[in-house]
Amino acid sequence: MRSRSFLGLLPWSLCFAVFGLVPLLAALLLSFYFMNPLRPDLTHWVGAANYARALGSPAFWHALRTTAIFVVGTLPVTLLLAYIVAALLGRLRRGEAFFRAAIFFPATLSMVVIALIFKSLYAEQGLLNGWLEALGSPPVHWLQDPRLALPSIMAMDVWASVGYYAILILAGRKTLPVEQLEAARLEGMRTLEIERRIILPHVKPVLLFVVLLNTVRSFQIFIEVFVLTRGGPLDSTLTLVYHLYERAFYHFEMGYACAIAYLLLLLVGAILLVQRRLVARAPGEIPRASAVTQAPVEAPAL
Amino acid sequence: MGPRGHSVVARRVAGRVALAAAPFVALLLAAALALCGAGCGRRASAKRAVVFWQFSPLPAIQSVLDRFRHEHPDIEVQVEQLTWQSGREKIVAAIAAGLPPDLCEIGSTFLPGLVADSTLIDLTDSIPDLRPALRGWRVVEYRGRAYAVPWMLGTRALYFNADLMRRAGLSPQKPPTTWAAFKTAVARIDAIDSGTKGFGMNSGEREVLFKKFMPFAWGAGGDILDSTLTHSVVASPQNIEALRFYLSLKPHSLLDRQEMLDEAFTRGRLGFTISGPWMLRKLPVSAPDLHFEVALMPRPAEGKGEPASFSGAEVLGIFRGSKEQAAALTLARFLVREENAMPLYVATGNAFPAAVAAESDTYFVAHPKDKVFVEQLEYAVAPPVHPRWVEIEEILNGELEWAIYGKKSPEAALRSADARIEAMLNPRP
Repeated sequence: MRSRSFLGLLPWSLCFAVFGLVPLLAALLLSFYFMNPLRPDLTHWVGAANYARALGSPAFWHALRTTAIFVVGTLPVTLLLAYIVAALLGRLRRGEAFFRAAIFFPATLSMVVIALIFKSLYAEQGLLNGWLEALGSPPVHWLQDPRLALPSIMAMDVWASVGYYAILILAGRKTLPVEQLEAARLEGMRTLEIERRIILPHVKPVLLFVVLLNTVRSFQIFIEVFVLTRGGPLDSTLTLVYHLYERAFYHFEMGYACAIAYLLLLLVGAILLVQRRLVARAPGEIPRASAVTQAPVEAPAL
Repeated sequence: MGPRGHSVVARRVAGRVALAAAPFVALLLAAALALCGAGCGRRASAKRAVVFWQFSPLPAIQSVLDRFRHEHPDIEVQVEQLTWQSGREKIVAAIAAGLPPDLCEIGSTFLPGLVADSTLIDLTDSIPDLRPALRGWRVVEYRGRAYAVPWMLGTRALYFNADLMRRAGLSPQKPPTTWAAFKTAVARIDAIDSGTKGFGMNSGEREVLFKKFMPFAWGAGGDILDSTLTHSVVASPQNIEALRFYLSLKPHSLLDRQEMLDEAFTRGRLGFTISGPWMLRKLPVSAPDLHFEVALMPRPAEGKGEPASFSGAEVLGIFRGSKEQAAALTLARFLVREENAMPLYVATGNAFPAAVAAESDTYFVAHPKDKVFVEQLEYAVAPPVHPRWVEIEEILNGELEWAIYGKKSPEAALRSADARIEAMLNPRP
């Protein structure tokens, strides 16, 4: 039985080892080397110099700051909107399947496609400026204005991810027994009170999952910047992953780029740990993440 | 369970393992057969296979390669199209993996880095006969040695909307030839109504800024590095004068990315824009009612300076790791010939053949707008082939962006760029 299980896991394990684990370890090793892919013969050990260089580089800190603004700006908004959308979807009596599909649709699109659509929306002659013009307002330079470029990308990112997370939260809500809700209503609880005291604690594990997933995704922001702004204008959208991409493929500093990637990995890992601890400590947490798929039996005291 | 039972179970397990492993074994066998087939086939036909990476659409280059196969039946060309978005990364990854193509189309701005890292073979002594037949050698030479063969040359010229010129009281038959006339025309077109802008100024895409500004600087006699390529001359009075002029166009300009500027011009909203010959193919299709013309870039003043422009090039390089260097050079020699490069220009409209003979091609008699670009090539200047060009370009683009956004004066931006480039080229001990 064990050997059969092992055989069943073998293809995936091989793929993970070849395309996941080996590059991960190779990148770690590379981060301690000077390595120019065009001159592999000059590769040499530099110890922690790449890490020291990154930590002393203003460009690195600027990119980190931009990334942090992106994460802090998108995460709560995405979570809140996804929660509201899930709540609205859960209350629909007719056409839920249609709206669910419509809300989820952006998640099925490639981020490149979404970015290209928004590129034309944000254009001087695009739809958004068309609406503004109809309202008598002058056109806005969404991606050319250094103050607006990052918020514009953030808005696009929120639009692209809300649907996916809303469906996850909706799935969590669906596991709540109807009897529990009916009992709460019989007790005379109002809608908002039910939401706050019963549903919210119930979907908390899903919310934690969404927060973790969105945090990781947001720190990795690259495609949006690559397609829309290339880090500009005036470095206002220079994120960490785009910065490391430039170092790797324009300056051929593979070791340095790998060091930046590992600093990002450490940072995201630390943030995820803190997030987990904070959520675990928060009052009202009842089920574990695995309980998302299991209907709770007991209703909380109302 | 007795020993007999154990052996039955063991046989069953072995059978299942064999069953599960069968597809993998089959795959391995298939791969081995394929490899053997390729190897055996190569030996049997004794054909040399040249792997050729290039950026043109395959239908555009296929007929040229068919002719090559006819002329060189002993060489098989395995052509692959790169994309402008990811071609650079693919080339870098292939070099890093030790599996570069034998012959590769390389953009002139990418070439200095490859030359600096000794990735390309020195072709100087193999192609002396090509020197008088081709233009654009400055783009491929470093310290007097040629590291690639010029194939196609690109430049930008001044597009203008003839209808807007008329509405502004200007004659489309007399496009502006000097900075002063150009600025007047830009301002007058901008004044027509709120929907039109005089000029399209690049912003929001830092990587192209020097290509749009330097033509004015080169026209005024400025440059980026001195003739020895060891010192920066970015803060020269000519460059500062050119940047002052360039920024004086800003109040009358639409500031946007190139594709948006092209679109605005297509919609008839822009008086002038600087762009390449690819627009000549696009505009009649996307805007059949647009009346546009093409002119040489304006010069600083009558009898002063030159109508300079940016010169880019697509060159053919052979990597050190190439296993078929001789066959790759044979293909390169074939591709750069006028009769083989010209069909590619006619099909794509991106860049002109580097072959000198192409200038007198009858195609340009029937296509006067294309001819303007050929004339513009005479005044086109290529950025210096310097090992640290990527960094120089980055500094220059970054400082120009600060100036365009009004965060730095022209003097401050160029002096800052000059100091940073100088510090990089000649670091203090």
